[in-house]
Amino acid sequence: MTEQNFPVRPKVPLSRRRFLQTTGATAGVVGVASQTNLMTFDKVHAQPAAASASTQAATVVTKSFCHQCPARCGIDVYTTHGRVHAIYGTLDNPLSNGKLCPKGHYGQYLLYDADRLKGPMKRTNPKKGRHEDPKFVPITWDEALDIVAGRLNALRDKGESHRFATLTGRGWGYTDVGLLTEFGKLYGTPNYNLGHSSMCSDASELVKHFMDGHHAYSAYDYAHCNYLLVFGAGFLESFRPYNANMQNWGKMRTKAAKTKVTVVDVHLNTTASAADRALLIKPGTDGAMALAMAHVILTEGLWDRDFVGDFDDPSLKFVPGQLVDVARFKEKWTLGLAEWWNVELKDRTPAWAAGITTVSAKDIAAVAREFATTKPAVALFERGASAHTNGVYNGMAIHALNGLTGNMFAKGGLRGYQTKTAWAPLPIKVDDYLDDYAKSPDRKKPRLDGAKTKKWPLAKNMMQEIGINMLAGEPYKMDTLMFYMTGPVFSGPDSTKWEQALQDVYVIDTSPYPGETNRFADLVLPDNTYLERLQIADTYPYEGYPISMIRVPAVKPLYDTKTFGDTVIEIGKRIKGPMGEYYKKIGNTENIIRWMCEGFRDKPGDNGVNDFESFKAKGVWYRKPYIYLQQRGVFYEWDGQGYNTVLKPEEVKAKVMPTPSGRFELKVGELEHHADYVQQRLGIPPEKAPFPQWVAPRHGGDGDLHFISPKLAGQAEGRGANLPHVSALIQPTQGGKRNVFLEIHPEAAGARGIRDGDRVRIKNKVGQIEVQARVTHTTRPDTVVLPMIHGHWAQGRWAEAQGRMPTGSTNEVTENLSEPLSGLVCYHSGMVSVERI
Amino acid sequence: MAKWGMVIDLEKCTGCQACTVACGMENSRLPGEHWQDVIFFQEGEFPNTELKWFPRPCMHCENPSCVAVCPTKATYKNESGQVLIDWERCIGCKYCMIACPYGVRFYTEEKPSYGGPNIKDVFPSDDAHSWNPPWKAPQEDWKHGVGVQPHDVVSKCTFCHHRISTAPAGTVDLDPSDPALREHTPACVVTCAPGARFFGDLSNPNSEVNKQIANKNGVRLLDHLGNKPQVYYLTGVGGSVPAERAIKPKV
Amino acid sequence: MEHRTEPKTFGEVFTLFATLWRENGPLGFARLAITLGKTPTAASRWWLGSVMLAALSLLFVLYQLVFVGHSSFNTSSDGVNWGLAISTYVYFALISSGLTMIAALGTVFGFKQFLPIAKRCIFLAIITLVAGFTVLALELGHPFRMLWAVPTGLQTMSPMFWMGVFYTIDLVLLIIKFYLMWQEDWDSPLSHAVGIAGFLAVILASGMLGLVFGSMVMRPMWYGPFTSIYFMLSAALCGAAAIVVTTYMAYGFDRNAMPERLRVLASGHELPMVFATLIGITLVMFVTRFWVGLWSNLDGLDGFRALVKTPLFHIELWLGLVLPFFMMLMPKLQKRMKPQMVAAFLVLGAMFINRYEFIVGGQLVPMFKGVWTHSLEAYVPSATEFALVGVGFGLALALYAFGEKLFHLSDAPPDTETAEPQRLATA
Repeated sequence: MTEQNFPVRPKVPLSRRRFLQTTGATAGVVGVASQTNLMTFDKVHAQPAAASASTQAATVVTKSFCHQCPARCGIDVYTTHGRVHAIYGTLDNPLSNGKLCPKGHYGQYLLYDADRLKGPMKRTNPKKGRHEDPKFVPITWDEALDIVAGRLNALRDKGESHRFATLTGRGWGYTDVGLLTEFGKLYGTPNYNLGHSSMCSDASELVKHFMDGHHAYSAYDYAHCNYLLVFGAGFLESFRPYNANMQNWGKMRTKAAKTKVTVVDVHLNTTASAADRALLIKPGTDGAMALAMAHVILTEGLWDRDFVGDFDDPSLKFVPGQLVDVARFKEKWTLGLAEWWNVELKDRTPAWAAGITTVSAKDIAAVAREFATTKPAVALFERGASAHTNGVYNGMAIHALNGLTGNMFAKGGLRGYQTKTAWAPLPIKVDDYLDDYAKSPDRKKPRLDGAKTKKWPLAKNMMQEIGINMLAGEPYKMDTLMFYMTGPVFSGPDSTKWEQALQDVYVIDTSPYPGETNRFADLVLPDNTYLERLQIADTYPYEGYPISMIRVPAVKPLYDTKTFGDTVIEIGKRIKGPMGEYYKKIGNTENIIRWMCEGFRDKPGDNGVNDFESFKAKGVWYRKPYIYLQQRGVFYEWDGQGYNTVLKPEEVKAKVMPTPSGRFELKVGELEHHADYVQQRLGIPPEKAPFPQWVAPRHGGDGDLHFISPKLAGQAEGRGANLPHVSALIQPTQGGKRNVFLEIHPEAAGARGIRDGDRVRIKNKVGQIEVQARVTHTTRPDTVVLPMIHGHWAQGRWAEAQGRMPTGSTNEVTENLSEPLSGLVCYHSGMVSVERI
Repeated sequence: MAKWGMVIDLEKCTGCQACTVACGMENSRLPGEHWQDVIFFQEGEFPNTELKWFPRPCMHCENPSCVAVCPTKATYKNESGQVLIDWERCIGCKYCMIACPYGVRFYTEEKPSYGGPNIKDVFPSDDAHSWNPPWKAPQEDWKHGVGVQPHDVVSKCTFCHHRISTAPAGTVDLDPSDPALREHTPACVVTCAPGARFFGDLSNPNSEVNKQIANKNGVRLLDHLGNKPQVYYLTGVGGSVPAERAIKPKV
Repeated sequence: MEHRTEPKTFGEVFTLFATLWRENGPLGFARLAITLGKTPTAASRWWLGSVMLAALSLLFVLYQLVFVGHSSFNTSSDGVNWGLAISTYVYFALISSGLTMIAALGTVFGFKQFLPIAKRCIFLAIITLVAGFTVLALELGHPFRMLWAVPTGLQTMSPMFWMGVFYTIDLVLLIIKFYLMWQEDWDSPLSHAVGIAGFLAVILASGMLGLVFGSMVMRPMWYGPFTSIYFMLSAALCGAAAIVVTTYMAYGFDRNAMPERLRVLASGHELPMVFATLIGITLVMFVTRFWVGLWSNLDGLDGFRALVKTPLFHIELWLGLVLPFFMMLMPKLQKRMKPQMVAAFLVLGAMFINRYEFIVGGQLVPMFKGVWTHSLEAYVPSATEFALVGVGFGLALALYAFGEKLFHLSDAPPDTETAEPQRLATA
């Protein structure tokens, strides 16, 4: 099937010109005159450097922002004679600063991917399957959009508009997935933007929400940080914003007070290797180490008294195993410390943690002391620590360390949270276009993914549930699904279930590439790649001050493709009733962007951007600084000159730490409300639910080895599989240049008769895949590691290349098991068995 | 004339390969044709395993063994110190590849190291170029080994000759954060996020590169072979220079 | 035995072909070409086979080179750069040099008992060099460019430059020498001068070929002046083995078909002694090289440890060198034809392996590839590279058969000890 879809241009290997070249007939006489000095080889070639001046005149540089990870680094795109050939970080962009990570330079490869779809298509083969050729026929956009509108109008007429869902991945900005909220309101479906975040990193956001009131990723001040403690995050491989992390790494490691770094992870990656201390921990047990660290910090009196508070009598102490009198501890900006000690921490000694984590008690205590006594410090975590059934509680224990040591909202610490950009509102109000159907209470149906229902009350999204829900017809039978920037049929846990789920539903895919979803699609509405788009977005949380960026198309679309935002608008225009009117008034995404940019007139960026045209010219709008600061237990706000305005507690609650108490909650108020749910899902007694605590992880799958699938530095998160430039350097620590290898410890390998380079089978109750083994000392004896990029059975001729390993997605052996509070898929939690083939 | 050299601070290098990808992009390289590469080594045993890595451009040696062996003088050292290849003189004998102790040279005609079809067949050229990708960069200078090369020749890092050769005369250091010099700075130096790479005139005692070498004990790789590379490494904690040129094979 | 006149000038050669064409017509000429003449000779036995081998191999190689290019080889920038093609070239080039050295035994150093093989040696030296250069040309990216780029480059620092220079001089001298021999000029001052010059040329050429590898300080498995000596002396061995095999081939493995002096040489004591001596010298060099390589801790010598574990190594050493060595020392075996043949074949095979293992083995330890190359380089020649070997052998054997048919390769200067001038016939 692949061959017929991927025509290869006929070669003319031995053209006349090449033949002549071979025989030397066309080779000119090379500067013989310069070859006079026989015995030296310090040659001077008399030729001047090739005059690139003529081509430079034809080179146009446009601004855009990268798509290969959420960081959204500002980029300069170089186009000469209509060919995009280079991308570099924008120099005067505060996030990229002229730098890029490896993925930033893939843009032109993605633009000119040989397997890109050329235009809208509809399926003619009624059978759907992994190996079924959809037999797409090209159609016009009008025809395609009419098909969609036809289905959507039909559903609405029957009162079943909830049976249409849009599943989204990496969508950014109001003119992109931002449009879907209004679309959902107008159309009448709760499933307007079923996001992928539960397959991404929701646990850390929920932890922050619980403890400091911000349901978001944190902004860090790495450049001034003196101690960095990383739990399960690839700080130098993939943690965002990756490019900025590396820029800050360069500063951290060479500034006058060199930042000390401790990394806790389950295998030795570059982050752990570059650190001053690497602790290889048993998967899913990071929380135990963090709890023990908190224990040490308290027993040795190392907590930050300015921020946390203290006993009213300095002779009172935290003694291991002993209760304290809660009333005697006067807390300032934290809530529940003494209770937490009594309920959980008093027995969580380093020796206890060592037994669970396999990290020595000595190391745990040493890290605790270093972390608490080196200021400022940051403790951060991400999926490595939280993609487990105990992930949120692990995260809470880790995040608590920032509170205990007074590094919240501090310079050089966990700096804060992202401030919003002052976009102007649209002149058109969506509420004016809601008809009775849209306003009807009948439209308040439960979401297809089950998020925010009794089953998953705290989850933002639950995309991984959609497949199995659809197979069960829950909560209702779906009619049409539209996918944007997400492909759970490859990337979702227990991914093969999706292949069944997509059989009986009308699938619309918007990917410009022939990925796995495309194989099951009934209709394809290919998107423009990011270099062909006009689009705006807000930054990934970086240092807290607002940043927004714009994509200016570097070239006209190569093919008959349409920016997703415009596709949504065009569909909207064709929906009967006032909804159609709304979208006709909107017109297109460019109109929206122009309207929104009006907000810059009153709040120009630090670089002078104050309207649409200057925004396009510069590529970025930002206003420094981040306006809040905590220093020695006092919260300040920027007054235009300095951090001079002292904030009162109610202002802190309103502006900085919007938790129920207005403080950093070690006793999480929201969890008190959900204590029954916590008890039901995790077996924790209700009175203990609000506290960071040790919960033993339940590992999915079965088998005797922990299975981890990390992201690597060169991996463009699913979009690199069809780029041979990416495969060529995909797993550099293990020499993976065509395949990715399974890292397996020599003991584990030896016990199974596996030698380096052997083909092995990874299997558990979910499924099995085959891969090549790399016997290495970089992983724990009980853990095997397989990066998640290869294993595609679609995406293009290179992604699908025969003989490339592994034979399937890592998700074919990942159980669909979710952390109960955040709903985060426990990607890093599964067990497998490995055998030689 | 400047004697261009490079300094790489291994204390900052994170081994991300942005330099490798940027070089490939700037110079229209084939996948796997890593003129610049980051080489990893593993040493030690769990739990005390070490991952070592270092970026490896062409060293543009002072005494290049590759230049000495080329039977047609296709490879040569120009007056600003780069070792370059004239693709109109190269006969593809690959002696220079044998003679380079750092393994930085590439021959055009070989089986792809990535899986799947040969990308040269997917984007073939109708003329003497070995292939013609849609993202091909505009610069081309076969006498200096710049651009997409013809078939059957050897290619390697040129220190972005097409960029540095247009730098204003008398420039001492090519700093990519200087807007006036950015377009003249090698791609790998431009993109390095931790700022681990420096490029400047080794013959100028006031250059930043010379200061870095002196202050942070810059070393050269395989110095005992006498090629005298013009790329210096500031050894540090993050990556470091391995003791040997290959990982210890299990023989 | 049939008496046949050897054409003596180029004119006569041309006339011979023209006559055959006229007499037999194109079709008949073609048939004659296939059978190598009207009457069957020993040469015609391997003529057709070698022509087929050369032609089919060459067609395959050219097809691959035109439609796939040199990526049809398994050499790679990350791995082994010089593979089977280069080792085959070195093999043939050194056989050629060795044959010249053997010829020099008679023509330069005055060992008259070796004169009956001198002309054959020179002829074979020419065609094996041509075969080697052909293989090399098919391996190079732009072979014809060499013709102008090498002279204009004048890169005198390059061992390969000098290798090319000396082998070119060598080829020219060989051709002149053969021409003189063909004209039965054995003793003139010119003949002597050319002989000496030719001998010097092959010493320089094979030595320089050795220095191509031996100058490489970054390749410790090759580095050192020893490689030069090694190549020179093992070339002599190859030459000796080659002439034994090819002489027997020319006479249908029947000593009685040989001319008198030749038979005496073949049946005598000197041939096996020279042969055994050369094998012995080669064995000593082989063992000392491997001893040093295995013993030393120097980074980069790990390839020796790997080579010792390969079956090819042991086939080469025990079967290809040690066994023939003892065979040629044993009085019962050394003078008999079959043992000599077997020993010579084994040696030729061993030396083919030797060149391969020397060249490829020296590249097994990768140059700063780290974990991109996990352990040693892996290299297995591709079908095209094997076909190149077929081109080399096919071409050499075919040209040999042709030359055997056309020329009297066993001609020797008159034996001054016996009064009779020898007018030698070829079978």
